[in-house]
Formats: sequence, structure tokens, C-alpha cells
Amino acid sequence: MRWCRHSSVVAAALVAGGCAGEPPVEGPDPGAVPAAERYGGTAVVAGLGEIQTMNAFFSRDYMTDQFQAYVLFMTLLRYDDALRPEPYLARSWTVGPDSNEVVFELRDDVYWHDGTPTTAHDVAFTFDRVKDPAVPYPNRSSFDAWESVEILGPHTVRFTLRPHADFLHGWTALPIMPRHILEGTAPEDLATHPFGTSEPVGNGPFRFVEHLPANRWIFEANPDFPAELGGRPYLDRLVYRVVPNETTLFAELRSGGVDMYVRVAPVFVDRIEADPDLRLVAYPFPNYSFIAWNSVRPFFESASVRRALTMAIDRSEIVEVVRHGLATPAAGPVGAWHWAYDSALRPLAHAPDSAAAILESAGWRDADGDGVRERDGVRFSFDISTNESRERGSIAELVQRYLAQVGVEARPRIREHQSVIADVTSPERRFDAFLLSWTQGLVLDERDQWACDRIGKPLQFTSYCNPELDAVMDSIPEATDRSAQERLIRRYDAMLAADQPFTFLYVEKRADALRRRLQGASPDFRGELADVRSWWLFQP
Amino acid sequence: MIRYAVRRLLEAVPILIGIVTFIFLLLHLAPGDPATAYFNPNVSPEIIDRMRENLGLDRPLHEQYLRWLRSFFTGDFGYSFSQHRPVADVIRDALPNTLLLSAVSLVLIFLVGCAVGAVQAVRQYSALDNVTTFVSLFVYSMPGFWLGLMLILAFSSPAMPEFLRLPISGVTSIDYEFMGPIERIVDRLRHLVLPSFALGIASAAGVARYMRGSLLEVISQDYIRTARAKGLSERRVILKHALRNALIPIVSLLGLYLPLLFGGSVVIEVVFSWPGMGRALYNAILARDYPVVMAASFLFGVLVLGANLLADLLYAVIDPRIRTD
Repeated sequence: MRWCRHSSVVAAALVAGGCAGEPPVEGPDPGAVPAAERYGGTAVVAGLGEIQTMNAFFSRDYMTDQFQAYVLFMTLLRYDDALRPEPYLARSWTVGPDSNEVVFELRDDVYWHDGTPTTAHDVAFTFDRVKDPAVPYPNRSSFDAWESVEILGPHTVRFTLRPHADFLHGWTALPIMPRHILEGTAPEDLATHPFGTSEPVGNGPFRFVEHLPANRWIFEANPDFPAELGGRPYLDRLVYRVVPNETTLFAELRSGGVDMYVRVAPVFVDRIEADPDLRLVAYPFPNYSFIAWNSVRPFFESASVRRALTMAIDRSEIVEVVRHGLATPAAGPVGAWHWAYDSALRPLAHAPDSAAAILESAGWRDADGDGVRERDGVRFSFDISTNESRERGSIAELVQRYLAQVGVEARPRIREHQSVIADVTSPERRFDAFLLSWTQGLVLDERDQWACDRIGKPLQFTSYCNPELDAVMDSIPEATDRSAQERLIRRYDAMLAADQPFTFLYVEKRADALRRRLQGASPDFRGELADVRSWWLFQP
Repeated sequence: MIRYAVRRLLEAVPILIGIVTFIFLLLHLAPGDPATAYFNPNVSPEIIDRMRENLGLDRPLHEQYLRWLRSFFTGDFGYSFSQHRPVADVIRDALPNTLLLSAVSLVLIFLVGCAVGAVQAVRQYSALDNVTTFVSLFVYSMPGFWLGLMLILAFSSPAMPEFLRLPISGVTSIDYEFMGPIERIVDRLRHLVLPSFALGIASAAGVARYMRGSLLEVISQDYIRTARAKGLSERRVILKHALRNALIPIVSLLGLYLPLLFGGSVVIEVVFSWPGMGRALYNAILARDYPVVMAASFLFGVLVLGANLLADLLYAVIDPRIRTD
């Protein structure tokens, strides 16, 4: 009872080694299939993590965000492939003379899947809840500049705001929630409303069918999706499966039980590329890995020493060995995924000899000949904390080896994730250095991490303080156009690259593995599911 | 006997309260809390504080404990922080899957284990005995997750003939909803084969060793010689006289293997993406989802104590020499 769409041709299945009906390597051209014949079938997307909720006020991970924004619900705007906002639920928008008001004109042909029209009231309701302090909406900072909302007509809303360069960004990420279902629930009880897990009602290209927790979410095509936006999706059904073990997930992909394995583990890259039934799509992704140096410790107080440590670490080799090429060594925190990325800012080159010379001139010398430098009786010897993951464990060991070559002793300490987080966010900063990665947003306001006045707060890990950087960070959100902002972001990036409060290891290239029968899917920075409406299954 | 069962059940109450209290303390001693799941450069610390407040995590520990205990005794298991739904729903969805998997494994363990052990004992030191002994020791020393992964790789391999292809993960196929009732049962059974095998086979090998030893001991008894001397067929001697007595110590293994199964299910459920309690508990511990951890540990406690009680009662049923009162 394996899942095969056409199980009649057993011989073909044996030859192809998968489901009968899989497209062979050479054969008919998918591009020749006319649009009218692309309808039908079930595509299965699978990942390691569960999608916990369809309630947009409590979304907290990338796949969940995508299923909300692209599958079940609609956002007011969406990004085109050059990351410019384009109309979606909002048919058009007009910006007031001083950029302090925006009027959205909504589509009038969008309906909630229970038949209720989607109106300006839903937009105002969603905005009110996002701004409500009782609702712990994780991305509230995207709406910091947005002040109030006014309903001008059934499909017209006006917002007042403080001018800001990327002011529309929040509306590309926040799905509009149905007022008629959630309005009666107190804001602090929204998190436990069954809407999120067992009875969501959306208005997007797919309708909710069933959620089998820890197992799968099932969606079906919405036949009433506006024709102007492409109409009914080609797929009959879209399924998300949780497969928490990566080996099992890869086996499912290879044997045809899964059409797309999202954020594939780098160890599988070679096997995916060698398999004629699979293809790999990789793209820059706003997740970077770093080593944070606790600048309160005597080893890490000076920027030149931190630069020397970065120079001692061969980041290109880490990218090759650990990420199988799915990453790019980083200069500062702003990666190639960001529109303000400065390709002229080069990462520090791997130069162990110069690194050793810098350490020498900073007074760190190995006087007793034990292979570890010391200064004023302090040995250059410290712990690198990280959480248990195959990648980070390997990186920590490589870093240990690189640093040993320049006379610095780093001891990897691999522990459970929450324990590491608890230590590094504590006001006492119970760590010397730690290795983690995290995902950034397009709107860069990272004062919580770097600003002098946030020292002692959870995210100011390193206690690094640079008043000049503070001034730049304060002016980024004030900039009202992209060219002014670009200059500031590049300056911000360059200052952090120079001071290396973190060693910015690499920026991830996110990679997805797809079965070749899945057509029309081209994952990019916007996510795997941004074009899900036009996915279809090729059956020669 | 009933008095004995009731007394045992009453004794279980303080043990269970002790278990949940201990787990509660242990959990809160561990670093981190549910709001840490939002650890992210885009989420401001104030929002995390707000979450803590909404979840009641800013209250003193004893207050949180008493509040939890009170609602627990009124049958309210609370809300799962990470799954955004009632813990009762989490258990309702996950528990049947774990019970099904464990039950099938348990049957496999005792059927296969007793059969293999009996054959080994009857044919002691034969080539068959030596081979099965070697195989069962080999299987016994294999970690379940490794065996599971090997099965997954083997059964998903293109070299595996189509009729031998078994589902390698999940409880049902993607098109389950469109199947007829018979097809659905077949589909579920097929999904059970690999995980229950991986979960149970090592224990089956253990049971086989016990069974072999137990039966050998019985066979050397005088009454077996008497039975043979009466001219009974060997088949009748073994099946009627020896086997029943040899099974007595095996039954006590039931109480030993059930906890082992529940423990093993944590790993097997992750490897085979089986949506059961083991996985729910594991994820809840990582996410510090206190209400789920508490409820799940309580249930595992109940299951283990229940299994032990069942084993003791069965013991009394099979062996009339044992009195429970």
C-alpha cells in the first residue's frame, strides 16, 4: 500500500526504482504540458519540525510562517523576486504626502473558507491584536512605526505611521486573521483558541482539511481563490509531514513518499546530486553561524585579538567540511540575502601567521613552552559552549584545532540547547565563548544585541560597547528611504566586521531537495512555499 | 485476590504523587523555560517576559506547583505551551499510537521469544540451538534505533522488490482518507511491521534466553521423567507438562518488559516518525513544555505500575502456590 499515484506499471516501477509514473531522467518535457492539464494530485512537503499553529499571532518558526502566509491565509502584500512589495490581498496602496499615512484598497473577491467575505474589519482587527501588549506577537517590532488604523469603507483601511524606509515589510509577513472567528476571545486567551490547531479557517489558495498532530497537516485547493491571482491551485492537495529523523526523511524522499525535503541536511548533498530523480535548490538564507566572545573576559576585550582569532579560523574549510559547500564565509552580520549587502566588504582572510603575530604584539606569549600563550599569568584557555548538533559539534572541534595552531586553547563544551541559552542570556554571562546560529529579519534593528544601554539584557551577550555604532543603529530605523538606509546598514555591517564582537563564521545557504516530478517549485529567499499555487505534478 | 489488587492500587497513589512532584522539581531545576523557544534576534526580551507572564511562569515555584496539582486533581491537565492546545488532546492523540505499538511489540516479544526458546531447549546443543542462540545474542546486543535505521534504509532501497516494500515511517499512508475500511486496516498493519519489530526484537531475544533456561530446568525435573516413563509422547510431555511450568517465570518478565517498551518507544517513535507519547514526551522535555511532561510522566508511571500489578496477578493465576492474601 505504498503511496503511488499509478501503480499499474509494475515493471516500470522496478526499473525506475520508485513509484510507477515517476518521470524518467530523459523523456517528455514538463514544459510542454499545457496549463489545463497540470491540475490534480497530492504533493508532500516534509521537514524535521512540527508546524504548531495556524494562529498568526503566535507563529515562531520559518515553516509555520510560510504555511500561514502562502498556503492558508493571505498577507496584504507579498514580495516579488527582487524583494519589492507587490499587491496581494491589498489590490493597491497609496502613501500620504509625508509618508505618515498609508491607505490600502483591499480586493473585494476574497472570502474566508466558511464563506464570509474578507474585509477591512479583518485587517483592523489583526492590527489591533498585533499592537495589543497582552498578545505576545513575536514580530511586533515590525509594526513599531505603525500607530493607528481607521476603516474608511468595507475594503479600505487607512493607517497612520512614522515614516520609515522599509515600512511595508510587516505587511508582507503578517497574515490577516478572521475577525468574525477570533474577535470574541480575550487577547490573552488567543494562544489556546482551537483555531490555531484544530479548526483554522483561512482565505488563501488552500483550505484546511485536517491536522494530525506530530504527523501531518492536510490542505486542499481552494476553488474560489481569485482568478486574478491565478485562481485555483494546480494541486488537489498539499500535505506537510513531520519526519523528525533526517535519515528517515531522506529515505522517504528517495523512495517517493515525500516530494520536497525542506532545509536538507548537508550530509545528503552529494547523494541528492547523484540521484537522477532528485534535484537540489540552494539559495542564500538569513541565518548565520557565529562564535560570540564574552568581552568581559581578559582574552576577548580587544578588537585586534578578536580579529586575530577570526583570522586563525579557516572558515572556508568549515564551509566545505561541515556544510558541504552550503554556506558562504561571512564578513559581518549582513549577508548576501539582504538588499543592502555590500559585496565589497570581504571576510577576513584565513591567516594563522598574522593571527599569531597580532597575539604576540598584544602581549599573549607562550613563555613556558606548553603550547598555550599566557599574559600576566593568565593562560589563553577558555570554553566554547554549544548545543548538541552534528554540525556545531564538528565546527567546535575544528575551531579547537585551528586555535591550537596559534597557541590558544579552546575546549568545546557541548550541552543541551536550553542550558546553553540560559547561560548566555543570564545577566552574569556564564560563558567564555559560545557557538550558535540564528535567523535574522529583513528589517535590521539589532540594538538588543549590540547597544551599550542593553548590556545586562538577555540578547547583549558579548557586553560589547561602541557608542559610534550605537549612533548608526539608532539612525537606521529613522532613515526614510532605501538609499539612506543602505549607507547606514553598510556602515553598521563594516563596523561589526572590523570589531568582531562575534566571529561571523558563515551565512547559510538553505537547500531543499525536490523530486523531479514536482514542477513549478522554485524555492528562494521568500521561502519554499511562496509559489505553491503554481506547483504541479508531472506525470508523463 | 481482589483485596490484594485494591491494596496495590491504593499503594500506587503516593508513588504517583511522588513521581509527579519529583519530575516537577527536576524540570524547574533544569535551565531554561518554554518562552526560551522564542530565542531569536527579532523577538524583543519584553515580549518573552509577556509570554512568561501569560503562562504563569513568573509566579513563585510552590504557587505554580500547587496550582498545577489542584487542576490536575480536578482532571484538568492544562494547556501545552508549545502545541497551543489542551494537554488532554495531546494525550488523546498520542497515547493510542503508543499503546498500539507497544501491544504489538509485546505480542511479538512473547510469541517469538517463547517459541524460539522452547525450540532451543527441546533441541539443546543442536545446530539449530547454536544458530538461534547466536542470532538472538546478536539481536539482543543491537541498539533499537540503529536497527530501526537499518530497516528503514533496507526497505526504502531501490533493490527491495516492490511486493516487499513496507512503509518506513508514519502510522498511515498519505491517501489513507480515500481508502475503504479493509484497505485502512491493512495500511495500518503494514505501518506497524517495521517499528514494532525494531522495538520488540531485542526483548524477544531476551525472552528466548529466559525461556530456554526455564524449560531446560523443568525438563530435568523428576515429574517430566515420570511423564516420559508413562509412555506419553514427547510432544505431549513438552506441551502439556513442561511448558506450563516453564512459563511461570516468563510471566514475571511482563512487568519488566513493559517499562522497557515505553522507554524504547521514545527512540523508535522518533526514528519511525510515529506520533506517540514517547515523542510527545521527548519534544516536551526539550521545549520545557511542563504540563505535557507532567501529564506524560504521570501516565507512564500509571502504565508501568499497572503492568507490574498485572504481572503479579497473572503470576498468581498461573501458579496456584502463590497466594496474594
